Amino acid sequence: MPLGLIMAKIFVDNIEYEVPDGKNLLEVCLSLGFNLTYFCWHPAMHSVGACRQCGVINFKDENDKRGRLVMSCMQAATNGTRISIEDPRARAFRAGNIEALMLNHPHDCPVCDEGGECHLQDMTVMSGHNYRRNTFKKRTHYNQYLGPFINHEMNRCIQCYRCVRFYNDYAGGKDLAVFAAHDDVYFGRQEEGVLENEFSGNLVEVCPTGVFTDKVLRKHYTRKWDLTSAPSVCHQCSLGCNILTSERYGGIRRILTRYNGDVNGYFICDRGRFGYEYTNSDQRIKQPSKNTDNSSQPLSTEDALHDVKDSIFSKKNIIGIGSPRASLESNFMLKELVGENNFYGGIPKRESDLVHRVISILHQGKVKTPSLKEVESYDAILILGEDVTNTAPMLALAVRQAAKNQPREKAYALRIPQWDDAAVRESVQGQTGPVYLLTTHHTKLDEIATKAEYAAPDDIAITGFEIVQQITRLSQSANGDESSQSFTASVARDLLKAKKPLIISGTSLYNTAIIQAAANIAYSLKDNGKDAGLVYAVPEVNSMGMSMLEQKNLDDAIGRAKEGGVDAVIIAENDLYFRVDRDIANDFLKNCHHVLVLENLQNETTTKADYILPAGTFAESTGTVVNNEGRAQRFYQVYKPSNEMRSSWDWLNEIRNSISGVHAENFDAVVDEMIKKYPELAKVKSVAPDANFRKGTQKIPRETARYSGRTAMLANINVSEPKPPVDKDSPLSFTMEGYQGVPPSPDVPFFWSPGWNSVQSINRYQTEVGGALHGGNPGVRLLEPSNENKSGYFNQSTEKFSRREGEWLVIPFYHIYGSDELSVKGPALAERIPPVYIAMNGKDLEKGNLKDGDHIEITFNQNKLSISVKSENTLPEGIAGLPKGFKETTGIEFPFWGRIRKV
Amino acid sequence: MESLTNRSKPVDRRPMNLWEKIYLPAVIKGLGITLKHLFKKKATYNFPEQTRPFSPVFRGLHILNRDEEGRERCTACGLCAVACPAEAITMEAAERKPGEEHLYREEKYAARYEINMLRCIFCGFCEETCPKDAIYLTETFAPANYQRKGFIYGKEDLLIPFPEKENQPVTEKP
Ligand code: SF4
Ligand code: SF4
Ligand code: SF4
Ligand code: SF4
Ligand code: FES
Repeated sequence: MPLGLIMAKIFVDNIEYEVPDGKNLLEVCLSLGFNLTYFCWHPAMHSVGACRQCGVINFKDENDKRGRLVMSCMQAATNGTRISIEDPRARAFRAGNIEALMLNHPHDCPVCDEGGECHLQDMTVMSGHNYRRNTFKKRTHYNQYLGPFINHEMNRCIQCYRCVRFYNDYAGGKDLAVFAAHDDVYFGRQEEGVLENEFSGNLVEVCPTGVFTDKVLRKHYTRKWDLTSAPSVCHQCSLGCNILTSERYGGIRRILTRYNGDVNGYFICDRGRFGYEYTNSDQRIKQPSKNTDNSSQPLSTEDALHDVKDSIFSKKNIIGIGSPRASLESNFMLKELVGENNFYGGIPKRESDLVHRVISILHQGKVKTPSLKEVESYDAILILGEDVTNTAPMLALAVRQAAKNQPREKAYALRIPQWDDAAVRESVQGQTGPVYLLTTHHTKLDEIATKAEYAAPDDIAITGFEIVQQITRLSQSANGDESSQSFTASVARDLLKAKKPLIISGTSLYNTAIIQAAANIAYSLKDNGKDAGLVYAVPEVNSMGMSMLEQKNLDDAIGRAKEGGVDAVIIAENDLYFRVDRDIANDFLKNCHHVLVLENLQNETTTKADYILPAGTFAESTGTVVNNEGRAQRFYQVYKPSNEMRSSWDWLNEIRNSISGVHAENFDAVVDEMIKKYPELAKVKSVAPDANFRKGTQKIPRETARYSGRTAMLANINVSEPKPPVDKDSPLSFTMEGYQGVPPSPDVPFFWSPGWNSVQSINRYQTEVGGALHGGNPGVRLLEPSNENKSGYFNQSTEKFSRREGEWLVIPFYHIYGSDELSVKGPALAERIPPVYIAMNGKDLEKGNLKDGDHIEITFNQNKLSISVKSENTLPEGIAGLPKGFKETTGIEFPFWGRIRKV
Repeated sequence: MESLTNRSKPVDRRPMNLWEKIYLPAVIKGLGITLKHLFKKKATYNFPEQTRPFSPVFRGLHILNRDEEGRERCTACGLCAVACPAEAITMEAAERKPGEEHLYREEKYAARYEINMLRCIFCGFCEETCPKDAIYLTETFAPANYQRKGFIYGKEDLLIPFPEKENQPVTEKP
């Protein structure tokens, strides 16, 4: 890649600047802080030169007074380049271009959801065009129904092509295209219907106009300037993408991408973007309560603390159950409250062992786990047993980018600059580099795979171990078996050929051997001098963090309760019925006698609780979570709820105060306590600034400077305006007063810059366009590989899978919409959950005289489930796949052997 | 000290002469002024029998307007609220459902629209900024009320009635 630290001198309006070589003029001008208009260029998708909005005058040398008009996004910023942005001809061209784009653009801003954060508005103002001269009729289009997430208003299109470039070229979508020609181009689906791609929500941010807007936001629409926002971390999978969560009138209104150059970059997946609606659900627990079998009595906070002290903490054996969806601090406080020996992680042993295994590999192993963004830089990939599109969606998007690396080298060899997207794509011709998949069944990434093989979980591990042998064989004999076309041979060959091979695996199949096989492959590549990487997807947002604090797991707690060793249990943000079989959960809660639950939504566990305390979701809490990479990241409370909801750690802190008088003053005090006890977590302290951090003397406002209606918003409740709430836990304030510049990178509550109201203002928060945020990207890695461990290979101990007569091994199938516990409780996401099914190989179906859609009954342990079958011919015979986390399958512990009977 | 203007009159501090000391001439002069005013135009109005004529740019109580077909014009764009220097306007937008086209002119409308009249300074910025000609300041005062909360005007107070119910007064607090 013609990138590097070489600098070039360029002249902009006769002033000299030093810029990195190998970029285009538009990006360097934006990095230098110029207000230059553009539409089609996107920092992640680069230039195509489609919109003609970035015109500048380019001069040959200092004597050239005339110059010529060029599109700055299509021109390299080489040494000695002279341009003028302010030249009257350039200005007139840009204003004229906007006027042309506006010919057919509706006079729609007041109605348009983009208004107030519209790149077209910004660019129009910036270009200086302000009055429409055209009086003729405008072209109009039909709008399409695009599903529950995206609203379509085609009349607002300015034909920049960003949508199709993102959707098709970047995200691998198939169902959005451009139709017709001339002044009548149409961006949409071939026919109305749901946009299928998992990343469709990014169209909202990618489209510079109001063509694609957030349909979920529209249900409770609020302008950007009226939102109270906080930096947050997506809680819907283990990758920890950075998000901005926004509130008005006590409800979460929308989620946007929070740029993090190390994690998610400019994008997030649809589960993260639209999966927040559960925070506004009417199932929310808002008030502490005392419950008996048939009555529930609301309590005030004081009464609740008092009652809890009297009736729970008077008991002798009190245990605590943590949760992988609660923050580090909440798990820690629970552990403090019940004591080291009485704290149990909230996941069954099987899952706990896997996460512990992953942690030890990342920590003691010798291969580095790259950040999500770094994944895009690898040039050969092997995925073992993980359906990443559904278990860690953004990882799949990163893999799609990485797959383009090898073919792109050819383009770079032709001296095509990497930002010249159209030319690069033309030379790549849709080819992909080596991507090998070894999964249980067909997954969406198959379409970019060099080769995809399907096998039973144990066989995946065995093949993994074989790949290690192949690698050793190939590297030892100079002329190893070059000809073999077997899967393992080609994988080994391509991984060894690559500069940076990457192994991806995860916990989703509950198979330790797969995780070990993946580590072995990465180790052997490293031993062969490769800059190898190893990525594991884990189950939940804070699986890693909780497991760092957990020595015992849910099964241990269940065992202890069965033996009568438990008098009371405190459960923090965990629905046990989602984790284990219903009978086991029932027995456990009965054996615990007294149950205190801190929870955000009503669920089966809360129906069994004696006391319920309302815990905040990610929107009402502050905390730290650790993602699959071992990166600790801070998320902040967005607003102060008018009810009793608060962070779990805060509740537990209050309880501790009421029983022992020990009280942590605020969030920072909890973190301090935690790192004192667990020095290995010391870096958590540096994840974000302290609560007493000030910019000058000022806090960082969560509200925009344009926030409206402050004297009227609450007037219908009380005419006297209340004192604004104080945030003692963070450097952010709940109001609009405070520092107006660029805050420290972990504490950016929204992106805005004078003249830049849209998300494109991210440019102004980066050291250079597309690079790191000012002050470094947020998040601190807690796990780094150790170089001491020289061997550390795992032994292969797996048996080959052999099918049983009359029984099926049922493995989990994951769905981006459906397999996550909380996001499915929002109506928009719920619309996308497929009907429940059981997948089996067609041959198995034939044998059992079944066909697609037939109803079967599956028996396992003591349970029965009646369900319709679906044929999935890539699934090995003897194995069945059942969606995980669906209403009908919640609490089922995978994998299991089940008997299947036709009904 | 130097005077700021040249219009200041020095106070006459000479002792009074006899003519001034008898006071009567001054009293009669004063009575004369009073008498003269009896025949001048009155400065006050006998409100409420008589009303004061408004200046053509008078800015009083707000109304939310409808279009010719009686549909609400406001699309809840939020511009009035953001323009309001007193931050006295707040609204919640809602989406027009199919079949509601006769009620709302645009595809979004204000489900809740409130002005805090205690805070409003009647500057008229809201009217000036409205792109949909939806909000106007009328020539009415905000009437007195017994309670502070009576000054929070909601949509039912602001919205002009449907055209067919012509006889209804334009704004009236229940
Ligand atoms: S796309 Fe932008 S410019 Fe066009 S109507 Fe919407 S807000 Fe206005
Ligand atoms: S729909 Fe939006 S992104 Fe697509 S071409 Fe039109 S303006 Fe550009
Ligand atoms: S008149 Fe002025 S102060 Fe009153 S609501 Fe309108 S903008 Fe606000
Ligand atoms: S009254 Fe006018 S400015 Fe205010 S929200 Fe309605 S349409 Fe917008
Ligand atoms: S941004 Fe340069 S042509 Fe579109």
